[in-house]
Amino acid sequence: MQSNDRQMPASDLDAPMPSKRMVLNMGPSHPAMHGVTRAVVELDGESIVQMKLDIGFLHRGFEKSCESVTWNQCFPYTDRLNYVSAIMNNVGFALAVEKLCQLEIPERASWLRVIGSEVHRICDHLTLIGAMGMELGAMTVFLYAIEARDLLWDRLTELCGARLTSSYCRIGGVARDMPEGWDQKVIQSLDRVAELREEINGLLARNRIFMDRTQGTGVVTREQALEFGFAGPCLRASGEPWDLRKASPYLVYDRLDFDIPVGANGDNFDRYMMRIEELRQSDRILRQCFQKIGPGEIIASDPRYVLPPKPEVYGTIEGVMHHFKIVMEGIKVPAGEAYSYTEAANGELGFYVVSDGGGRPYKLGLRAPGWPMTASLPHIMKGKLLADLIPTFDSINMIGGEVEQ
Amino acid sequence: MAENNANVPSAPPAVAPKPPGPPPPKNPGMVTCTIDGREVISKPGTSVIEAAKTIGVEIPYYCYHKRLSIAANCRMCLVEMTNAPGGKLMPACQMPVAEGVAVQTQSNRVLDQRRATLEFLLLNHPVDCAICDQAGECKLQDYYFQHDLKPSRLDVPKVEKEKRVVLGPLVVLDQERCILCTRCVRFMSEVAKNPQLGVAERGNQSTIVTFPGKPLDSKYSGNVVDLCPVGALTSREFRFAGRVWFMSSAQSLCTGCARGCNTFLDYMSESTYRYRPRENEAVNQEWMCDDGRLSYKSLNVDRVLAAREGRGEGKALPRQEAVTRAAEVLKPLAQSKKLAALFSPVASLEDLLSAAVVVKEALGLTRVYVGGRPDGWQDDLLKRADENPNRKGLELVAQAFGLELRPFSELASAVAAGSVKGVWAVGAEVPDLAQAPGFGKLEAFVCQAYGTNALTPQATLLLPAAPHSEMDGTFVNFEGRAQRFELAYWPRGASRPHWALAAELGAALGLGYRWQTSRELFEELGKRLSGALGDFQWDSLPSVGKRSGLTPLQAGTVDGRLPGYRERVAPEVSEDARLALVRNP
Repeated sequence: MQSNDRQMPASDLDAPMPSKRMVLNMGPSHPAMHGVTRAVVELDGESIVQMKLDIGFLHRGFEKSCESVTWNQCFPYTDRLNYVSAIMNNVGFALAVEKLCQLEIPERASWLRVIGSEVHRICDHLTLIGAMGMELGAMTVFLYAIEARDLLWDRLTELCGARLTSSYCRIGGVARDMPEGWDQKVIQSLDRVAELREEINGLLARNRIFMDRTQGTGVVTREQALEFGFAGPCLRASGEPWDLRKASPYLVYDRLDFDIPVGANGDNFDRYMMRIEELRQSDRILRQCFQKIGPGEIIASDPRYVLPPKPEVYGTIEGVMHHFKIVMEGIKVPAGEAYSYTEAANGELGFYVVSDGGGRPYKLGLRAPGWPMTASLPHIMKGKLLADLIPTFDSINMIGGEVEQ
Repeated sequence: MAENNANVPSAPPAVAPKPPGPPPPKNPGMVTCTIDGREVISKPGTSVIEAAKTIGVEIPYYCYHKRLSIAANCRMCLVEMTNAPGGKLMPACQMPVAEGVAVQTQSNRVLDQRRATLEFLLLNHPVDCAICDQAGECKLQDYYFQHDLKPSRLDVPKVEKEKRVVLGPLVVLDQERCILCTRCVRFMSEVAKNPQLGVAERGNQSTIVTFPGKPLDSKYSGNVVDLCPVGALTSREFRFAGRVWFMSSAQSLCTGCARGCNTFLDYMSESTYRYRPRENEAVNQEWMCDDGRLSYKSLNVDRVLAAREGRGEGKALPRQEAVTRAAEVLKPLAQSKKLAALFSPVASLEDLLSAAVVVKEALGLTRVYVGGRPDGWQDDLLKRADENPNRKGLELVAQAFGLELRPFSELASAVAAGSVKGVWAVGAEVPDLAQAPGFGKLEAFVCQAYGTNALTPQATLLLPAAPHSEMDGTFVNFEGRAQRFELAYWPRGASRPHWALAAELGAALGLGYRWQTSRELFEELGKRLSGALGDFQWDSLPSVGKRSGLTPLQAGTVDGRLPGYRERVAPEVSEDARLALVRNP
């Protein structure tokens, strides 16, 4: 694509060098494009004239895949949506199905879901901050963030047996209870994460290079953000105090004391600061959770939806048949449709599920939190510098697993 | 007193008021009652279970079977009926509907009773699902999940019985799993007319037994495996062979005899695992004989899967090359009138139509010799002596094409006499395999065969043919009833259905037919049968196993899939795939 039309100089001093437009493939094998995304940018000098985003090569077919597995078998698929914060996806899906089943989950399960979600929210934000720093040249930040994240992933391994793909929820509750003394370990880890967080923030927030590259770049006004359908930290960075944990509390969020940070400029710096502040708030939530969580069951006792305890499965015919029917045919979710909305790390995570009364989803739809931001990127970047694409792409936090599902 | 009264000249006794008679039936000639508040009109004598089925109300049962006598011993079908003596719960299988009666199948009493019944049935049931062949199609599992869902309260050891009692050549009994519904006992005495099973002992020691020293060797013993609602009676052939939820089903036909019993052919990848009878009131009700049941084995083993040239071991060659060679050797023999065609009545109608076209139009023959398996045993229930599924079809094809049918023995003597120097056999089944060595004299023996037998080593060109599990087609049974069967899996190895091999041969001999599916073939050639098949429609096979697009999955089938869904492509896709198969073999 070549074009010789030159912009008229505003004054003689501004007269540009005559330049050809250049079309550039950024990615997919580009360290800043997270390995799966290709941005086709048309450049006039260093300015992006227009841009197209090829959202990737994952082609997961998530929604369709879910139609051919039982309801509980969907959980591993949801893990891989936003793979940095899997438990939040588990929770979102479980809430949708439980809405259809009109299933009340035990209180302890709700607390455990919140704990898992908030730990994963910290992991998610740390990943963003680390990657953003690294892609803007601050390798140290990345190492600090990953150290903190791995610390938490170790805790999650103790909770659910996997660092990344947790599959922690079940319809009706969660898969496992906290191990003995786990809460104290998490609090210790949170202390270390807080140290690292403040260190990272100290390295970045007053860093001239970081400020220059993020302040005033990738600006999205509040109106634009609403029109693009933003949710989550990116919307709040633009000045709209909208958080589903406050606006429509689910699980036990109404019993927790935390604040919703709101930005003013909607630029990359604000989106970064939003993450830092949310890290602090999640830390606060988790410490409250460990104080408030009480003993109790971790999964509902409705035998239509919940597997029997293992000793019964191995020892009694009733248990083994119950187990067989639920595992082989799936739970029979009442016919109907439901939409669940949760505040995931990147915004509103919505699951729309339709059941025909059978053991598998009849239809499943996903509102991927990262999608509106990703889709708006070409609009945000129009006329902006190529160099600003990197921090913007970082701060909207596109996650291939959920966007290219 | 009585005497006194008798002496008193009496006034005429007051007429006692007659009790009011039953109200006239709401629908004359029929019985009208309500089931779960919905009005049901049924014939007098209909059982409540059957009446409930007509409005879609499923009453659970184990012992009831519509083709067997009523035992009412499992107690699963108890329902509330307003005409029950003392308000007791009544077995819906045994109670006929009555005018004006209200039946409750979902009341708390009924549900409690079901739960209690299941608890008793499961009391001594072993923890066997993981190793039980019935798992996945077991009524205990289904009803427990639907009606009970309560944990075990048993705190004493379960009663232990024999786990593997060999009842006969086809059936093994697991006494612990048995719930004593006696369906098998009733089947043997009422349908098979061979009462070989009974119940011995009492209470929780009761078991199904044969008479001492007598095996369950009826020719219909396999049906008790199908009838058993739990995993107590298992087939020795299918035992531990595969899990039913991995299997797909095709609607097929048994090729064991001329009856053409309707079957489900259960398969996994390219192997057939079992036949199960498929209900057809007019043909086999829902039974089949043991010989037919075991006839699936020839679909799996001793198959001819590659073309071969030369007698004995011969030399393998690509199928198309073999067909071209066949055309080359058959043509001069046909011109010198030394060629004979041998058609097997095991081949389908489509196969024979295609072969008849080649015989008539390319080879110019006017007579066809009839192969086929020799006659076997016969009885009054299902089995026919003629063990070929399509003899009637062969006769219809011969009639349509003006071909004269001659017995195999004439061919054998003609070969021995040397008046026939070449044979083209569509199907290697022959009534008298002792004649097979005689075929070694032939100059050319082109043989299309499903599997190996004594005849196939004599073939100078052996072509691999695909049996009925691997094609869509039609058999005409001994009554002249044309019945469709469907493809379960693609032809194995290099094999192709007889019709496709014959069509390739015809093309090599210069015929212009280019059918790509057996449906296409039947559309073109079926017309020549000029109505001999009555109102038969080729597409008449009701499609139950296929799922296409966004058809909702039905709840309640094994692991939620429709039978036959797993390895089957949607019909519109399969047509393309079939075309691809024909174009790029």
